[in-house]
Amino acid sequence: MPFGRMMRGCGFRVLAVVGVLSSLVPAWGADQRASFENRLAKEELLLAKTPSLYFIVYLKSKMIALRSRGMTLHKWKVQSIHVWGDAPPLGALTLEKKSTLFPPKRAKIKPAAKEEEAATFELEALELKDMPSRFTLFLSGGIRVFVRPKAGAFFPRLGNLGHLIVWNLWLPLKNLSFELKKKPFAAIDIKLEQKEDGQAIYWALPDGVKGLVFPL
Amino acid sequence: MNKKKTVRISLLVLAAVLVLLEAVAIIVAWPGPPAGTAPGTVQNDKKAAAKLKAETAALDKKIGALAPKAVFIVIDSARNTLTLETGKEVLFQAVVSCGSGSILEEPGGKRKWIFDTPRGEFQVKSKVVDPTWVKPDWAFIEEGKEIPIKREERFEAGVLGDYALGFGDGYFIHGTLYSRLLGRSVTHGCVRVGDKELKAIYQAASIGTKIYIY
Repeated sequence: MPFGRMMRGCGFRVLAVVGVLSSLVPAWGADQRASFENRLAKEELLLAKTPSLYFIVYLKSKMIALRSRGMTLHKWKVQSIHVWGDAPPLGALTLEKKSTLFPPKRAKIKPAAKEEEAATFELEALELKDMPSRFTLFLSGGIRVFVRPKAGAFFPRLGNLGHLIVWNLWLPLKNLSFELKKKPFAAIDIKLEQKEDGQAIYWALPDGVKGLVFPL
Repeated sequence: MNKKKTVRISLLVLAAVLVLLEAVAIIVAWPGPPAGTAPGTVQNDKKAAAKLKAETAALDKKIGALAPKAVFIVIDSARNTLTLETGKEVLFQAVVSCGSGSILEEPGGKRKWIFDTPRGEFQVKSKVVDPTWVKPDWAFIEEGKEIPIKREERFEAGVLGDYALGFGDGYFIHGTLYSRLLGRSVTHGCVRVGDKELKAIYQAASIGTKIYIY
C-alpha cells in the first residue's frame, strides 16, 4: 500500500477513533447500547442452546463469565482491559489454543510392578496451583487475549514490564503488518486482580471452547 | 569528523523513521468500532428502539428458559467443590475430589488414558445404592495386574461408598474411602464425595438432574 494512501486512511481512522472513543469511553448512546444488548442476546442464545460451556468477555463491564444454558457458572472480575486493532466480531469465537511460557505438564502414571508398590501408590495430581497465571488465548478471527495478574513481587513486575514493551511497541507493529497483509488482528490485554483468577481461567477454558467478546 | 557527523545523522534519521513507523502503527492499531455498529445501524427513532428492547427481552427470556427448573449440580473441578442449587438458592456445597489429569499408558503403548473429569453439561443417568465397582482395564494396568477375562473378577465392593450417581461414559459421583484426600484432584475422572454429602445429593437428585462441570 502506498504510504500516502495509507496515511490518508489513517486520517479517517483517527477521526473514527476520536468518534468511537468519545462514545465508547464514557457511555454509549442508549440506542447503541440497546443494539449491543440485542446482538449479545442473539449470539448467546445460539451458544446456550448447545450443551457446551461457553465464555463471555465483557469489555466495558470488565468481567469474564463462564456460562452454560444462560447461567453463569463462574465469573472473574478484571482489573483493567486494553485493546489494540480491529474490534472483535460480534459473534461466536473459538479458542484455538492457549500459549504460555511454562505450560502445565500432566504426570505419567507408572504401572506398579509389584503388589507392594500398588499398595503405596499415590497419584500425582494436576491442580489449580500448577496452572499458569500469565498466558495468551488465541481466538479465531486473529484475536489474541493476553491474560496476566496484577504484579506485586519483583519477578511479576519484571514480567509486566516486558509485557508493557510488547504491548505498546511490538503489538502495534504486528497489527500494522497484519493490516498490510489484509489479515484480521486484535489484541486484548486483561489484567486480573488475583493470580488465582488467571489460573482458574486457564483451567476453565479448554481448547475449542466457544465464546463471545462483547463491548458491553 | 565528517564520518562521525554522517553516522550521527544516519542514526537520527533511523530513529526518526522508527518513531514515525511506531506512531503510524499505533494509529492503525487504535481500536476500531465493533463490527456491525456503523452509525447507520444505530436506531434513532424511539419506536425502533422500543422494538429492539422488546426483542432483547424476549431473547433473554428464551435464554432463561434453557436453565434447569429443578435442582441441579455444579462441580468446580479446579477448586474441587460441588454445589447443589436450584437457580435461586444454593442448597449446600461440598468438598469433593475430581480427576487428577494424569496419563496412564498401557505397557506396549496400545492404549492411553487421561484421567480428567469431563467438562460440560451432563445429567444423572443412574442411581445405585451400595454400588459395586466394576474395575475397568486401566485399574488392573495401574496396579500391574493381568486384565481378567471373567467379568466377576472385576467386581470390587465397598470402595464407592453407599451411593453412586452415574452421569455417562462410566463416570460417577460416588463415595470414597480416602476422605482425607477430599479437596485434592486425585481421581480417575469420577467425582468423589464425603459420606454425609453423598447421601444428601442422592436424595435430592433424580434421574435427569442436570450436572454442570467446569
